Amino acid sequence: MVTRYIENTVIHESYADHRAAPAVAACPNMTTLTYECGPASYVEFPRTEEPVYILGEKYSTLYDLDELKQDIKSRLWFTYRKNFPSIGGVNGPGSDTGWGCMLRCGQMLVAQALVTRHLGREWRWDSKRKDEIYMKILKMFQDKKGSYYSIHQIASMGVSEGKPVGQWFGPNTVAQVLKKLVVYDEWSSLVIHVAMDNTVIENDIRCLCKCKQKDVEMNGDFVLDHIGKVRGAEGSGSPDSNCYGNLQAKFRWRKVDSSKWKPLLLVIPLRLGLTEINSVYVDGLKSCLSFPQTVGIIGGKPNHAHWFIGYIGDQLIYLDPHTQQMTVDLDDPSVSDESFHCYYPCRMSVYDLDPSIAVGFYCGTEEEFDDLCVTIQKFIIKSSRTPMFELYKERPPHWPPFEAYSPGATNFTGYVMTDVPQFDTDEEFELL
Amino acid sequence: MPEIMESSGKPFKQRKSFAVRKDEVAGIRDKFPAKVPVIVERYHKEKNLPLLDKTKFLVPQEISMSQFTTIIRNRMSLNANRAFYLIVNNKSISSMSMTLAEVYRDEKDDDGFLYMTYASQEMFGSC
Repeated sequence: MVTRYIENTVIHESYADHRAAPAVAACPNMTTLTYECGPASYVEFPRTEEPVYILGEKYSTLYDLDELKQDIKSRLWFTYRKNFPSIGGVNGPGSDTGWGCMLRCGQMLVAQALVTRHLGREWRWDSKRKDEIYMKILKMFQDKKGSYYSIHQIASMGVSEGKPVGQWFGPNTVAQVLKKLVVYDEWSSLVIHVAMDNTVIENDIRCLCKCKQKDVEMNGDFVLDHIGKVRGAEGSGSPDSNCYGNLQAKFRWRKVDSSKWKPLLLVIPLRLGLTEINSVYVDGLKSCLSFPQTVGIIGGKPNHAHWFIGYIGDQLIYLDPHTQQMTVDLDDPSVSDESFHCYYPCRMSVYDLDPSIAVGFYCGTEEEFDDLCVTIQKFIIKSSRTPMFELYKERPPHWPPFEAYSPGATNFTGYVMTDVPQFDTDEEFELL
Repeated sequence: MPEIMESSGKPFKQRKSFAVRKDEVAGIRDKFPAKVPVIVERYHKEKNLPLLDKTKFLVPQEISMSQFTTIIRNRMSLNANRAFYLIVNNKSISSMSMTLAEVYRDEKDDDGFLYMTYASQEMFGSC
């Protein structure tokens, strides 16, 4: 498999190359090559009656190809970058090429939730206009240690998950890290719930999204000492209320009221097989990408992380972080934001998917969450003998009580069995 | 003798012949008819999760998969936020209400054992 990627490899040193004629890299070290698809390998969407789903929206390649492409192009695309301020001091990495792909996919997932939360699913990017709210969201992801969701913040917070800076992440690793980072972004008031053990507990989520703001205590002094303070840094000011209010009135997401329901990003890390994806999960996986609440799936091919945004037939459509671009400073008004948008989405067979994934859903209101629960019951659980994950109203009695993540609190982490049966041994058998 | 075979790192199935395994199941089922014999092994490529001290378990047939997962998680002192999956015949058994008896009925091997492999998630990157 790996050989195949290398054979197809093209490397783009800059975004300009990426959009024009990409050069095949004459790279001395083959192992540093990354697979990607750019214009050289871009294959147009097949003209077919079969629908295309992009993040819950249905398109036809026969009738609305332009709208389809405009939708994809509007997503925030995060790739490998180089020449950024080094992470964690002067000796830290100044590029994430080769290790940051899952971190970038995590950024794309949470960015999609934030775009939906602040601008709405219907929002489209216009390269000629720098929409204020859009720029504010984008700046939260730029490669600076002060940005809430920067590669710096994610890599540094990874240390708390046992991942030193520069190590590879899995889908769950990045979800756990983002769950910790999101609490500092007060403007979005987003909460991330990571549902473990293939199990979504409705009541845990309702408790998390409906509990009073004070329950998630903000403590400015606690913030990430090892990488400097986050609060008060660039991109963290309060929203421009006028601009926000005007835009808000236009879209259906005006219902977001974080005093009633904190906007939720639900992430479900899964393993749908040991070495390859079990085909029994394919229909469920695809239907997740058709739900209106979807913010995509993070996963990939073995070693190569992708952000999956949709499908056509048995092909998954994804944005690929494996293009190295130069870091740009978005605080410089003359700098273009074009390198954060992808004109060439990639496709791959769903059967080539690595089984380790995380599925994401965004629910801005409780009604959207209620609807998601009904949809999951219908299309994931009742429609399959082997559902990808389970949805339960209540926590099972043998699980420890649910505790929301809050910085500063010593989080309870282990399971405690109150009624552990005594183990005794019959020859080599462990008797439970 | 079993210790030596254990340390060789071979999967349980390769350590004993089919006939021996079948006899073993017959014997243990006879002695504990209400318990199911389960083999729990670490995925050979797994690097993040610890090895279990035991591979053979006799599990009460009425407990749920979710309870069993909790027991195994506990034995490894695994943080609740760490990814952990018990995989049976390349399926992630997700139904927490499903009992061991049901999983045993559907997924047991011809030798009479129920084989489970545990793994976390793959990491992504390319150097």
